[in-house]
Amino acid sequence: MRFWKSWIVATKDLSLFKRNRYILYSLIAMPVLVGIVLPSVYLFFLPADVPSATVTLLVNLSTTYFVIIAVVLPTIMASYSFVGEKVEKSLEPLLATPTTDGELLFGKSLAAFLPCMGATYIGAAIFVALVDYWSFSRLGVFLLPNAEWAVINGLMAPLACILSVESNIIISSKVNDIRAAQQLGVFAVLPIILVMILASTVQSIPLLTLSLIVAASLAVADIALFYLSKATFRREEILTKWR
Amino acid sequence: MIETENLTRKFGDLTAVENVTLKVDEGEVFGFLGPNAAGKTTTVRMLCCLISKTSGKARIGDFEVDREEDCLAIRKMVGLLPENVGLYDTLSAYRNLDFYGRLYEVPTQRRQENIERLLKLLGIWDRREDAVGTFSKGTKQKLAIARALIHDPQVLFLDEPTANLDPEASKTVRDFILELKKEKRTIFMNTHNLDEAGRICDRIGILKTRLIAVDSPENLERGTFKRKTVVHLESVSDAVLAAVKKLSMVKSVHTSENKLILDMDDPEKDNPELVRAIVKAGGGVQYVTELRSSLEDVYLKLIREAEAQ
Repeated sequence: MRFWKSWIVATKDLSLFKRNRYILYSLIAMPVLVGIVLPSVYLFFLPADVPSATVTLLVNLSTTYFVIIAVVLPTIMASYSFVGEKVEKSLEPLLATPTTDGELLFGKSLAAFLPCMGATYIGAAIFVALVDYWSFSRLGVFLLPNAEWAVINGLMAPLACILSVESNIIISSKVNDIRAAQQLGVFAVLPIILVMILASTVQSIPLLTLSLIVAASLAVADIALFYLSKATFRREEILTKWR
Repeated sequence: MIETENLTRKFGDLTAVENVTLKVDEGEVFGFLGPNAAGKTTTVRMLCCLISKTSGKARIGDFEVDREEDCLAIRKMVGLLPENVGLYDTLSAYRNLDFYGRLYEVPTQRRQENIERLLKLLGIWDRREDAVGTFSKGTKQKLAIARALIHDPQVLFLDEPTANLDPEASKTVRDFILELKKEKRTIFMNTHNLDEAGRICDRIGILKTRLIAVDSPENLERGTFKRKTVVHLESVSDAVLAAVKKLSMVKSVHTSENKLILDMDDPEKDNPELVRAIVKAGGGVQYVTELRSSLEDVYLKLIREAEAQ
């Protein structure tokens, strides 16, 4: 696989997204909102005498919300990838270029992954800044970033995002309508979200260990899904079933 | 350059293309005529390695269509103008071409030169930074042709290049194809436009799932219907008619107002004797012309025959 070819496809898609304000606003709204709202809960609703261990636990659990954001955002971006080409009727000339299925899929995945993770990290950065502002003024310490935060944001979020991107790209190559792609995309990411929520409720395993286990599982699932998407990508089906 | 042998494609029970055997030489402009759903686009898609064949063989240059290891090489050497232009409306004309140039692995310097040359040739250079969405249909079509040429392909597939264009835009596109013909590129063109096919193509194939006929436009016009000799007279007298009927080379004769319409095997050889006989019988010959069938007549006859089978 020639990664530079995938990068050409990705930069083109990123240019298209950049010109679509609706996508840009949808992409940025959720992480920014969560980044502001979550710490505000600590700032205004936690009692003054709350133990610092409880605060740390709450902050760490809240960090997992950014994994969920990283899973949800690709339903906006990745679901558009192939359906967008179908709607613009640009798929035939694109498929006629000397580009392999893997290069196309990887390029499309990159184009969805980068802005989704970028937006997630913007939200996460706002979250860290507000939590630290509050924790330093109340407890005299900076709570974030810590090891759990680093694993959750540095490993789990991108790996979960890749899984969501791949699921949505498979759906996007199979359906002919953007709304259908987005609705099916939401269904596809529900199990991932469910796993994240369940994982955050497990008390018996330390959060750091649990995060590493989930991250490893996600990495395996990502690789498996990439090969599945390559195996199920049918240029012919995409062209002949699209009207 | 393009060769197919019994090329067939089925979609379930439906046969879209059946046993198409043809050969297109290097530098030739080949026109594919046929009604809607005749299998023209399916054939082009098979030849561009976009869809697989059900059976038969096809080659582009030295490469076998449908063989996975050859498909990338085929895609690299062919340019495709699909039925729908499929440009990115929010990107500029330059960015559209640059994107495809990069995918076709055209080196930066040559890519920039090609974009400039093609956009100038098509008269869009001044609008190179405008979003394609602001272009007219004709300008988009021209840009899509430029896209198909960005990597200097040896073979160009054009699927309905002037469909839905106004006469002026059609002419621009047609003139451009004629320019490409001068560059000796192999062009395979699907079209409904018989007049256009007759003017541009060296040879024409008429397709209705099966290939019904392949020949030059002139030969198709001559071969399908017999040519007739038309003699315009001052008036058609009984003596002239009798004299003409006596001639052995005249197979049949009809009159229409002051014209004699004659069927003959070899008009070039027999017309002088025919004229001499008419003059000798007292006929006043005004002029002698040839009655030829048009490509449209040929096309309709062949398609109706194919449908009747």
